[in-house]
Amino acid sequence: MNLLLIPASIAVTYFVYWLNIKCYNRWKLVILTPILISPIVLILLLNATNTSFPAYYKGAKWLGYMLGPATIAFAVPLYKQFDVVKKNFVEILCSLTIGSAVAIVSSFLYAVWMHLGSQLSNSLVPRSITTPVAMGISKVIGGIPTLTAVFIIITSVVGGLLGTFLIQLLRIKEPSAKGLMLGMSALGAGIAKAFEMGELEGTFASLAMITAAIISIILASTIFPLLQGDLLL
Amino acid sequence: MKFVTGLLQVAAITLLFLLGNAIANYASLPLPGSMIGLVLLFLLLVLRVIKLEWVEQGANWLLAEFLLFFIPSAVGVVDYKDMIGGQWWKLLAVIALSTITVMAFTGLTAQWIAKRRKDVPGESSSHSS
Repeated sequence: MNLLLIPASIAVTYFVYWLNIKCYNRWKLVILTPILISPIVLILLLNATNTSFPAYYKGAKWLGYMLGPATIAFAVPLYKQFDVVKKNFVEILCSLTIGSAVAIVSSFLYAVWMHLGSQLSNSLVPRSITTPVAMGISKVIGGIPTLTAVFIIITSVVGGLLGTFLIQLLRIKEPSAKGLMLGMSALGAGIAKAFEMGELEGTFASLAMITAAIISIILASTIFPLLQGDLLL
Repeated sequence: MKFVTGLLQVAAITLLFLLGNAIANYASLPLPGSMIGLVLLFLLLVLRVIKLEWVEQGANWLLAEFLLFFIPSAVGVVDYKDMIGGQWWKLLAVIALSTITVMAFTGLTAQWIAKRRKDVPGESSSHSS
């Protein structure tokens, strides 16, 4: 029975995801994104079948494991778009350095302002970075990696929902700027949204996610400890 | 045949992940193995040690299913019900406010630089300032 649970949890997760993608493609609503709906459906299924999370995760963690290789796979589009990167290097570097710094500082300041406590606040800090990297940073700075993963998903959904509205409000016209802001702030769902706007927007959004991860690693290990020391003690 | 090729390419990328993890462990770097692997694969491609065709299909598969790999850890939120509890609206507020702030700063900076660059070489095309 326990042995069966491993392939079963992988198969069920994949099936729920597959069905979710079908619905998402049919209606094109950000709220239907698989990173929001699939986990909710699976939680309900675990409850209904009286399965504990550790029992489920024993098998499903192998799907989560593939996030590592999938992150590495981003080297391929990065390589293919290397000329675009070189041409827009200043724009990419400056906007993402500012974006990453604002993400770290504003998440933390708003969290402290709301009195969320150090564990939750620390877990919020890497919420604008791609998950495998963010979970690593979360652990190092004293957060809870799983909670960080959940906050990233909420970020992605919120960013995907607000993105179009903010682009209009701030009168962002450049495709590169649209892509960079969506990829920087809304990650997965932002990239999907950017690709709906156009190929160029989507490319910049994917670039933003990878580049921001690298910049954030540097920022989180340099400026954040200072901020943390000043505000939490 | 195409399926087997893709599968082998995914396996190769996974090996690169293991290598990245090993390097991170050995050199006690604060970087996740996936980021080291990304840089390694990028360098291998740029330096033409490996050809794009050797990894392209497998990489495309992984990228296409990127969201699937997030799901298991997201389900893990059930273990933190008590911790989040009554604070969920505060968390949502922090995330929404911070996301708006990040978007605004990133988008406006990028747009400002993109416009400046366009204005400099093409002075004749734009008659601003």
